[in-house]
Amino acid sequence: MAVPDYVPTPVDDIPTIRAELGAAFRAGTTKPIANRREQLLALAYLLKDNIDRFKEALASDLGRPALETDVLEVGGTLHEIKDAYDSVARWARPQRAPFALNYAAMRPTIRKEPKGVVLIIVPFNYPLLLTLEPLAGAIAAGCAAVVKPSELTPAFSALLADLVPQYLDPALYRVVNGAVPETTKLLEQPWDHILFTGSARVARIVLAAAARTLSPVTTELGGKSPVIVDASCDLRTTARRLVWGKTANAGQTCVAPDYVLVPRAFQDKLVQACIDVLKEFYPDGAAESDSYSRIVSPGHHARLSALLEKSGGTTAYGGGKRAEDKFIEPTIVTGVGLDDSLMSEELFGPVLPIIAVEDINEAIQIVNARDHPLALYVFTQDSRVKKQVLDGTQSGGAVVNDCLLQVTADGLPFGGIGPSGSGSHTGKYSFDMFTHTRSTLDNPSWLDLVMGGRFPPFTDKSTRMMRALLVPSLPARKSKSAANRWGSYWVMLSLACAAAAYGAKLIAERKQ
Amino acid sequence: MSIEDVTKVRKELQRGFASKKTHSIAWRKAQILALVYLVKDNIDRFDTALALDLGRSPLETHIMELGPVLNDLRVLYDGVANWAKTESAPFSMAWFLMKPQIRKEPKGVVLVISPFNYPLILSLSPVAGALAAGCTVALKPSEQTPHVSALLAELMPKYVDADVVRVVNGAVPETTKLLEYQWDHILYTGSGRVARIVLTAAAKTLSPVTTEANTFAILGGKCPAIFDTKCDLRTFVRRILWAKFVNSGQTCIAPDYAIVPKSLELAVIEEIRSVLHEFYPDGAERSSSFSKVISSHSATRLHTLLQKTGGEIICGGKVDVEARFVEPTIVRGVKGDDSLMSEYLFGPILPIVTVDDIDEAIEFVKARDHPLALYIFSTDKEVQQKIIRSTQSGAVFVNDLILHFVAHGVPFGGIGPSGSGQYKGKYTFDTFTHLRTVLVSPSWLDIILSGRYPPYSASKARKMDMVTMPSFPSRRTTGMAKERQDETGRENNHRTGGKEGGCINAPVSKVSDDGHTVSGSGCSD
Repeated sequence: MAVPDYVPTPVDDIPTIRAELGAAFRAGTTKPIANRREQLLALAYLLKDNIDRFKEALASDLGRPALETDVLEVGGTLHEIKDAYDSVARWARPQRAPFALNYAAMRPTIRKEPKGVVLIIVPFNYPLLLTLEPLAGAIAAGCAAVVKPSELTPAFSALLADLVPQYLDPALYRVVNGAVPETTKLLEQPWDHILFTGSARVARIVLAAAARTLSPVTTELGGKSPVIVDASCDLRTTARRLVWGKTANAGQTCVAPDYVLVPRAFQDKLVQACIDVLKEFYPDGAAESDSYSRIVSPGHHARLSALLEKSGGTTAYGGGKRAEDKFIEPTIVTGVGLDDSLMSEELFGPVLPIIAVEDINEAIQIVNARDHPLALYVFTQDSRVKKQVLDGTQSGGAVVNDCLLQVTADGLPFGGIGPSGSGSHTGKYSFDMFTHTRSTLDNPSWLDLVMGGRFPPFTDKSTRMMRALLVPSLPARKSKSAANRWGSYWVMLSLACAAAAYGAKLIAERKQ
Repeated sequence: MSIEDVTKVRKELQRGFASKKTHSIAWRKAQILALVYLVKDNIDRFDTALALDLGRSPLETHIMELGPVLNDLRVLYDGVANWAKTESAPFSMAWFLMKPQIRKEPKGVVLVISPFNYPLILSLSPVAGALAAGCTVALKPSEQTPHVSALLAELMPKYVDADVVRVVNGAVPETTKLLEYQWDHILYTGSGRVARIVLTAAAKTLSPVTTEANTFAILGGKCPAIFDTKCDLRTFVRRILWAKFVNSGQTCIAPDYAIVPKSLELAVIEEIRSVLHEFYPDGAERSSSFSKVISSHSATRLHTLLQKTGGEIICGGKVDVEARFVEPTIVRGVKGDDSLMSEYLFGPILPIVTVDDIDEAIEFVKARDHPLALYIFSTDKEVQQKIIRSTQSGAVFVNDLILHFVAHGVPFGGIGPSGSGQYKGKYTFDTFTHLRTVLVSPSWLDIILSGRYPPYSASKARKMDMVTMPSFPSRRTTGMAKERQDETGRENNHRTGGKEGGCINAPVSKVSDDGHTVSGSGCSD
């Protein structure tokens, strides 16, 4: 089937779309869980019915092999939708606050309510996963949503705009296509939440716009995710996983390994192993392989070419580029200094700089001297090194002995820290992102018998009463926690003795 | 504090965080305990400072700040060891071999900007939460409460490690300087107008922000209190007047206006008169139980609003700008476009809006911005549920007010223009904690996962599909009608406080799209 044409949404329609979704949300149709599940199932079939069309679109946008789309996006996306479909009833259930004597009578409850109308801004690199996964979260949370896919993936974005109204309720879920003018107009509207995935530069623009409308924002950015390779690692597996993480989607992955820190003495072995793996992955060269993607735009191709040309390192493998089809060969550069062009920005391409360090401590120092990355990878079989690296650094997530998998792993949040993003999503965390936890209490009238001291006129008596009620007992200044613990053991022990004695008495009575 | 000092403070806090001393749970608990004693040892000095800054009675300080802040610190002290434990992800067949874990790591160096109205709790509660999370903190208290802010600056280094908590005093230049830095988190409590400035500055440095904003601007943030005809009038009027006039109405979650059914209006007004007389027998001006407003500017603003109102002032109305005194004032017959409905009042004035019925009340609330809190006075469960379901707000409190801020175990936070993010107790800990995902992938897993490596082939794709593709129920979910029914049943169940009916029962077995029978339901718990 042909890919539909990419048509930007008329800018003037955008406020109307926002208003329509607001009205539809207020009508309350997203509240019943059954409706949410119905839409989630429709979303799953939107993808299942059209897998081939999506693959075709992504091949056209990213030069990406169909099989890579399968491995990297389709399975993970369906998994996320299924998780939301299976779990939404449980996630949405009101939650009782933990018991507290003072407040139990007010029945404190946390209701999980949809925030309202949300905006999801999607980047070009994994359009399928990064559109449908958060959309599933928004549907599960009971929100209405506008999705703004990237203008750099026109075939995908057009296909999405074509399919969404066929599968989902058009009153609640809409696609807005376009570039800067359309996004600017979108950001002039107030949103109940914005999820932005993309670059730090655009994130600043989005956050500044959202500040004017006081719209809360979750940002998924990126940054240079380091790889620390220890000499104790399983070399062949390390090389395979590292090279896979770097070459998948031609390195255009927000959690792609960006650069490698390796002890000097181990460097040559690692580089040779990586070269071997590259030859195995692309036996006839990457340019001829049907398993290797292209760079998304001429602009990004030129940027990467310039970074490679300016680098002071030595090209140990690859280095080939071709502007016509936006091809950049998987490239390994050694002897890279910390001030090298390749260390100046997130690479977001299939170029792997290798930096030799004296030891793991120096590697940790280099990581800590830079912005916190979205991901950190460490390859080692030594649990002390693993602990040393994890305890000594900060990062969005961390994977030991593998790459990329943390994004779709079940039950884990995906999110950055500091300049690599704030907030987290995937699975239940996406539901939580779009959910307002509304505290509710109900205070019976009789409680004023106890709490009447709060009303004026204040007297010494009423203050004493309220203080006795409100001020908790506190640990002694010098924490005697051991003594306290023994105290509670004594209470439990004496209770147990009393229970045993009572039991013995009952048994004795029955015998008589 | 000079501008250069701000830079120095920031550097020292970064050094303090890098020293890793905050990683120890015992150390965090010791610091929280030190904060506890900072309050306990100096109660009289805080009472005096608050009396000078806000003209507030010590008794009110004890009820509204002292008890709640100590309670919150106690919850943090008791809870931190448990909360900080690394969590394992729920079991998943596809992933358990990689030991998925969530480490609770401190975000880093954070900034707390607190407002003037409850300077003790709104400063110390977030600071203690940040300490519990293992962060180092710069606290910027309000310049409008000079005595309390100076006292905090004096006491903090005496009790708490100066490498990890610092007080920065000052006004716009100091705050501007603070906001030039990248913070690992900012917790801002204050007005919507300033929130926009804070958020815009934070956007430049990509600092994440939690805002607790009560909007002074025309936007709203006005917390409504809805009266139903079925209500325990005497109790409810006492409660609403207490919540309105405590701290002279300068409470971010004070009831801003009351919505009363026409048939109840006269009874409410009569009750209000009697309760006011009971609260302030010699008048509020002479009462030691009534606070002043924060500034003469604020008194003037309230005076202007009162002069412009089209409603009828039935109690109070007196304003003494010099003395910062605004009398507890009740205004009836207020319409939606009245001056008193044009902005967040943040003062001791209670406008009464009359409506025909609950539906009209709901429409009135929905037509405005989502408030930080919504109050309902009704003994009728149906009415309560109807209002709760058809409105949005930061929190809902049925039959009482304000106390939800101090209630244990529920988060405090706004929605939309009333703020984003949440804190208090464990929620403060979460606000300042980064959830760091960790996976460990053994080499032998590639026996299963090697299909991901190029060169790709159709057989590899099939192999990966087997691992990654979930199955779905068939397109036509025949049980949809039943599901809806069950859900209604469950809601009812919950409403009556009974045991919850478990998960929704989807059909027991369904035929999936590829012809296989999928047993079980959509329920996964």
